[in-house]
Amino acid sequence: MQEPSITFNGEHLFIGNLGHALVVLAFCSALFGGVFYWLAVSKNDNSLRKAGRWMFLVHALSVLGVFVTLFVIIQNHYYEYQYAWQHSSNSLPLKYMISCFWEGQEGSFLLWMFWHALIGVILVFRSKTWESPVLAIICLVQVALATMLLGIGDAPFKIGSSPFELTRMMSPDLLQIPVLQTLGKANYLQVLKDGNGLNPLLQNYWMVIHPPTLFLGFATAIVPFAYAMAGIWTGRMRQWLTPALIWGLICSAVLGTGIIMGGFWAYESLSFGGYWAWDPVENASLMPWLLIIASVHLILVARATGRHLITAMLLVSISFFLVLYATFLTRSGILGDASVHSFTDLGMSGQLLLFLFLFIFLSILLSAPAGEPRQWLGVAFVALLMVNLVPAVVELGGHIAPSWLSVGIRILDILAFVGGMLLFVRNLSRQTGSVKEEEQMFSRELWILAGSLAVVLSLVQVFLSTSNPVWNKLFGLNLGTLKEADYNQVQLWLAMPVLLFIGATQFLAYRKTDGRQLGRDMLLSASIALAITVAVNFSFQIISFKYLLFLFLGVYAVVSNVLYLSAQRHKLKLGGASIAHAGFGVLMVGVLVSSVNKKVLSAVPVDPNSKTPALAENITLYKQRTALMQPYEVQFKGVKQDGLNKYFQIQFTRRNAKDSSIADSFSLYPLAQNNPKMGLLAEPDTRHYLWADLFTHVSYESSLEQEEPFSDFKTDTFTLYRSRLSSDGTRKLTLDSIITTREEATGAIRIQPKFSVETLDGVFYAAPFHDYQLNLGLIGSRDTILDAAGLLMRFDKFNPDNNNLPASQVIVTTGIREPRRDFVVLKAILFPWINLVWAGTIIMVLGFAMAVWRRRAEQAIR
Amino acid sequence: MKLVHILGIVFIGIALAFVVSLYGNPTKYVSFPEAAGYAAEHPDKEYHVVARLDKQRELFYNPRQNPNYCSFYAIDSLNNPAKVVYHNAKPQDIERTEKVVLIGKWSGDHFEASSILSKCPSKYNEELSKEQLSR
Repeated sequence: MQEPSITFNGEHLFIGNLGHALVVLAFCSALFGGVFYWLAVSKNDNSLRKAGRWMFLVHALSVLGVFVTLFVIIQNHYYEYQYAWQHSSNSLPLKYMISCFWEGQEGSFLLWMFWHALIGVILVFRSKTWESPVLAIICLVQVALATMLLGIGDAPFKIGSSPFELTRMMSPDLLQIPVLQTLGKANYLQVLKDGNGLNPLLQNYWMVIHPPTLFLGFATAIVPFAYAMAGIWTGRMRQWLTPALIWGLICSAVLGTGIIMGGFWAYESLSFGGYWAWDPVENASLMPWLLIIASVHLILVARATGRHLITAMLLVSISFFLVLYATFLTRSGILGDASVHSFTDLGMSGQLLLFLFLFIFLSILLSAPAGEPRQWLGVAFVALLMVNLVPAVVELGGHIAPSWLSVGIRILDILAFVGGMLLFVRNLSRQTGSVKEEEQMFSRELWILAGSLAVVLSLVQVFLSTSNPVWNKLFGLNLGTLKEADYNQVQLWLAMPVLLFIGATQFLAYRKTDGRQLGRDMLLSASIALAITVAVNFSFQIISFKYLLFLFLGVYAVVSNVLYLSAQRHKLKLGGASIAHAGFGVLMVGVLVSSVNKKVLSAVPVDPNSKTPALAENITLYKQRTALMQPYEVQFKGVKQDGLNKYFQIQFTRRNAKDSSIADSFSLYPLAQNNPKMGLLAEPDTRHYLWADLFTHVSYESSLEQEEPFSDFKTDTFTLYRSRLSSDGTRKLTLDSIITTREEATGAIRIQPKFSVETLDGVFYAAPFHDYQLNLGLIGSRDTILDAAGLLMRFDKFNPDNNNLPASQVIVTTGIREPRRDFVVLKAILFPWINLVWAGTIIMVLGFAMAVWRRRAEQAIR
Repeated sequence: MKLVHILGIVFIGIALAFVVSLYGNPTKYVSFPEAAGYAAEHPDKEYHVVARLDKQRELFYNPRQNPNYCSFYAIDSLNNPAKVVYHNAKPQDIERTEKVVLIGKWSGDHFEASSILSKCPSKYNEELSKEQLSR
């Protein structure tokens, strides 16, 4: 820490203090708002509700204030603040200043809080009788999130991490750097003129809008949860379903958009060659989405038939828990070895886990019947046991195997958790009472349930595998991460029943359907789907049975939803579900075709005798040489330099088979940046066709190579107009002229012999020189290096230096090495029909939007 | 038995099958000698090795000869050294990474990596390095 006596020059301390104060205000107002709303529910008091409302509005304004304050700090480059210094720099354009905001953890928590606050304000004015209980829950979540930004106390009991910390406080080393010995520590800001800047990979248009969309998706997941809790709390066991359905649909649409935007960003600007890699961080955002989709379906069933109400409630709650769990996974550093892009630990993992438990147990408590104090005691005991898990996860350093005793206790913890969930279900079932009638085989509710369970199974697989680092930590296990193929193998089989149910269920009515009519409908769409599958497979060329089955089911899902929609043309606005389902079918077909038929054009055949895996996916392209990548002729034309960025012009030419006339010719410009801090950063370039994308990216390039030293040095006397061969005989050197120039102002004289160098690759020119000043003698000289000829020429002596030498002769030393020809190592991949992935997503989101519209209109009528 | 119960049983059955298949024979984190030992028993199974690059020894990558061959020496977390071969382009930031996770299997005299997770130190790094300060 610095001595307190120093007054630092040029700091803008006011704005940081304001930001801190606003965080504290946001925390307090959420806390009081929560308490007022809570009391308003239990005492059924309108004035308390109004007090809660005022508090929440104060809260929303202070969150907005924190947001603006932090943005002002970043925008004005106040590098005395760690956050601005760490994440931004002077040269960043405005749109990326916005991305800096959420590059750090604190900014992304703030973004999340901001969306919660905004949604809360909407609910304050729109939720009518639900205001008090729903806002009480939201206030509680906001209290939890606000503590993440408090930044008080010291490790290990630090609460939150403030974005308004000063750089000199966070990095005391800063004041010790040698320059400040002379400048004075008070003037340290003169050294801190520019920030670290934004990770170049994040300087992308999609990175400006992907995080806010994703966080809006996460934020909307709170609303169905809050309504479900409010329903249990106030005994309105069925009335919560409609608003939860609307918000669940909004969440599905927004979170789905956010996830696919991330995929699109990865596809457009990262070099792994794809849009989805089953990375734990990606999985973390997928998990809540899968479950919110399943819960929306069960809410529909519960609304229409009264069945599966408890399952709906359970799934809605767990989808919110999964949002918290996703935050824990990505922010705690626990994914360290498992993911390439998790955040580092800010010492908040314990805090994050505590919140997860807090909300789980809150929901159990809310479900407990009022007259059972013993149950409260039991829940409290279970909660205490669970808290024991926190230190287990927090000690992140090293791989210390836990003792058998602690593993035993942790297993007990998990059992306690399961017990808690069972208690939750039991409490709910006592309050709801179930439908006694037996379910019919051909009823919409049963099929929706089956389809939703398949989605939940997909979640279970993703959850179990993604959580491997957590199991390792808890039970001292040693589980590795799964590879993409492992996920794909399982998820492929789980998506098939989902597609089947998506196709069939629309034709079923709730409660009971005429089996024969259903059979006819299904048969019709199945036969059309079969015909289409056969037809499109002429283009797709899928051979494997399981992929063909998948393709058929995907097409079937699309066909039957389109048929269903066209059968009720007059009620198109009711067709949100059909459109969303058809979109999902298109998406799945796109995923299948673009990945199964993905073709690495740059792949070179691997030696069949070697035991090495067929990974040879890169090709080396020399400048101006043509290589063949079926069906293209490919030429590396040259490099366009723009600052650090190098754009490699790769020309693709496709010829007609008959007359070899040019059918198609274009250039792609994949980017490579030799970043001083991060090494080679590559950004792909993609040629988009309707039917396929041609994706290219640079894996390596010649300027990254170590320079080879020159050797075989040889000193020769050259005579004007005569030629000599280099030591290895591959270069012919001719002295063309000896030029003497005199600079009038300084009187310096330059003597420069000019050579032409002939090699197999062409003729190059070399002109080393000496500079003389009359009284000083030799004042400078320069060698010539010809990379393309692999030649160094050093001018040694000439006539006035050496009286024995005639004026037409010079003495020159030559060194040689392998000629360097610029090259680029390239990967080129053809993704067939990848546009179906994007199109399917857009159609699906459109369907969700229509469904939201319809359910809102319904609610307005009621 | 009600239809719903059958559905429930199928659901739990498949979920249990996941647990068994995921944890029955999982991919593990091992050391180089362990990976070599397992190679005889399960020649097709891949393992994870947490290691650091041996910066004293040669990192070989010559794309003029073969753009899909990169080899280097690594030291696992128990200090066992081994040669690693990666049939792909040189991972972009491998020289500067402190730690890599190698996924692959032992093959003869070396570890054949099928993928390499390397964490670039400056990515998402909240720590302040001396190098940045002295700029």
